[in-house]
Amino acid sequence: MQSRRIGAIAVAAVVVAGACSSAATPAPSAAPAGSAAPASAAPAGSAATGSKYVTIGVDLPLSGGEFANGDPTKKGIQLAVDQANANGGIAGYTIKLSVKDDAVNGVHNPQQGATNVQTLVADPTVIGIVGPFNSNVGAAEIPITNQAGLLQCSPANTNPGLTKPQYGALDIRKAFPNRINYIRVATTDDIQGLAGAQFAYNDLGKRRAYIVDDTETYGKGLADVFEAQFKKLGGTVVKHDGAPSSTTDYTPLLTAVQSKNPDVVYFGGVTATGGGLLRKQMAQVGMGSLAFGGGDGIVDGPGGVEGSFITVAGAAAANSFGTIAATHDIPNAQAFSQAYQKAYGAAPGAYSASAYACTQVILQALQAVAATATSPTALREAVRAYATDPTHKFNTQLGTISFDQNGDTSQHIISFYKTDMTAAGGKGDWVFVRQQDFGQSSQ
Amino acid sequence: MQTQRSIRLPARLDGSQLPFVAAIAGSLVVAYALVGPQQFSNFLTIGAVYALIALGYTMVYGIIELINFAHGDVFMVGSFVALWILSGPLGLHGSIDNPALLAVVLVGLFLVTMLILGALGIFIERFAYRPLRNAPRLAPLITAIGVSFILQNIMQAFFGPSPVNSPQIFTLNARFDVAGASIGYLNVFIVAVAVALMIALQLFVGRTRLGRAMRSTAQDREAAELMGVDINLTIAFTFFIGSALAGAAGIVWVLYFGYAVFNQGFYAGLFAFTAAVLGGIGNTTGAALGGFVIGFLQVAAAQYGYSRWSEVAIFGVLVLVLVFRPTGLLGQQLGERA
Repeated sequence: MQSRRIGAIAVAAVVVAGACSSAATPAPSAAPAGSAAPASAAPAGSAATGSKYVTIGVDLPLSGGEFANGDPTKKGIQLAVDQANANGGIAGYTIKLSVKDDAVNGVHNPQQGATNVQTLVADPTVIGIVGPFNSNVGAAEIPITNQAGLLQCSPANTNPGLTKPQYGALDIRKAFPNRINYIRVATTDDIQGLAGAQFAYNDLGKRRAYIVDDTETYGKGLADVFEAQFKKLGGTVVKHDGAPSSTTDYTPLLTAVQSKNPDVVYFGGVTATGGGLLRKQMAQVGMGSLAFGGGDGIVDGPGGVEGSFITVAGAAAANSFGTIAATHDIPNAQAFSQAYQKAYGAAPGAYSASAYACTQVILQALQAVAATATSPTALREAVRAYATDPTHKFNTQLGTISFDQNGDTSQHIISFYKTDMTAAGGKGDWVFVRQQDFGQSSQ
Repeated sequence: MQTQRSIRLPARLDGSQLPFVAAIAGSLVVAYALVGPQQFSNFLTIGAVYALIALGYTMVYGIIELINFAHGDVFMVGSFVALWILSGPLGLHGSIDNPALLAVVLVGLFLVTMLILGALGIFIERFAYRPLRNAPRLAPLITAIGVSFILQNIMQAFFGPSPVNSPQIFTLNARFDVAGASIGYLNVFIVAVAVALMIALQLFVGRTRLGRAMRSTAQDREAAELMGVDINLTIAFTFFIGSALAGAAGIVWVLYFGYAVFNQGFYAGLFAFTAAVLGGIGNTTGAALGGFVIGFLQVAAAQYGYSRWSEVAIFGVLVLVLVFRPTGLLGQQLGERA
């Protein structure tokens, strides 16, 4: 019995250690945000308003291989909220954040995302959600927030099916098809895929593409558009494979396509669903010198950052290109970058400014309607109605934007990046090439 | 009897095994014809990894009828231990070009990692499973899932949540051309190591005193105990061997793919578990066979452009096998003949 008890204690100790470490990953920001709220309410609110506060929900992938995407995005939201609170809050309200992680086992998870937004919907102080990051998570969340009439602004979703009726969006906002509650500041993959195809064909002069997607909403959607547009330009698609995110060995796929002589490999997906490993293994089978491209899922920060494309692929990341569905030349870039740098000691990520802009939209809507709403329910609905009204313009970090009748942004700008392995002090980074406004005409 | 315990060829290599050997040889020829030489080497390599992991599942199930869901994560720990040895104490960055030095490093790497992992296996058995040995079947199963999370979180705490790159000590350019394919020496090495370990395991289980203790414990634990078999020692040793083999798979993984990540044990473990069931859980030959079958299905799906469906193919084949042969391809038989 004695030894049995010791065994139980040892196991319990390990369990506790394990639990602590798992909590430690997403917690650093969540804890201060949550715990600081009651304390900071006092200085923020005036004497008249007391401890009035509203909550902005955040749903992003914040652990595992998605950290490189989620963390800088979350910090963009945090920055906007901290600045608003430092300026005395919005219309007498202190802003709290409720941060949820939708990554399970290191990869974004639609079911977890749905659970997270259900929690946020149930909290009456939540006036809007920033997120999610990944399109398949969005597809699982929008039916819930649409039913509840809760405003949701995604900084990074690009799958057209989330908003556009011709891509099946009416099935996603089934409860209230005409009551838009989901808006986004990133443009869509029908444009991003087109941009990627044009860049590969025109800028890089590639003619034979091999396409791999991760079989998810975002990845397959983007890859399909790339395939159609690349063919339209006159290029050849030698093969289009789907590799589920459980794939760890890409060598059979690459071996099978080698004899078809592709001159560019395009990946539809994010780093965590295989982008980095695919690039790394291309070098192993002797295809390392080929150009490699992808969408915003792989343009995720410099080398050395946990889980970024360049970190995972290592030296093989050279000669890669990618697109971001947002403007690179943001207004006041210097000031934003400095404020972010000052707060977090690192450069902003690809979607930090977009997340900041999403938060600005929610806060500006709150500012506009706060006086008219009397109950939390009325406030939530008023914020949603104001933000999704196509006639309202928002002055954000991305510029002045509005949202159309489906919730899509009026900005249709794609930024192009290439890897430079000498950048970031030799660790390698994505360097901006150019950006292009695809306007309304390309829709 | 005692004097005959030296390592010899299995005495059972008689006529009764000819059909089995012929079937394996025939399958290999068909596999080669279907996917070509390059993919043949790919499938043997990844199949060897699955087979090594599957052996641990099948041995533990064979002896205490526990589906050790933490086994995939033991494999993952093996990868990190190997990665740490290479980049930490050895301080390596690139490939080792001197063959003699490479051999020394590899032998040391396998010895140290497999010993550490074997010890981890004994530790897990001692503190997580032995206290529950006489509990209802569900309790150790849930404990195994708990151990899986513990291992994942410990590794995540040490190495972070993202893939960690390891030095690739095998230069990837070391290849030779045969039958129109360019085969890496690393692939040959991996398959050779895996096959050598499997043969060693068969000899061990079939020819040694501890192996006999394992077989008797698997057949009837109480009867074995009455006959003087030290049950605790035998089960601990089973975990030692299974975990050491998972450690070998972890090393091979790091050598081949050049990275480790805290959750790599989930899918690898799932596929290896499927391999064990496919071959007949409890049967070590079956587990090895199942590993290669799954490796082949993945590679063939990629070759023919159906990679999107590779998981469907793997689990579809599993369902078909279980419908027509509920005990797996070779049946459950660790007890009688490992």
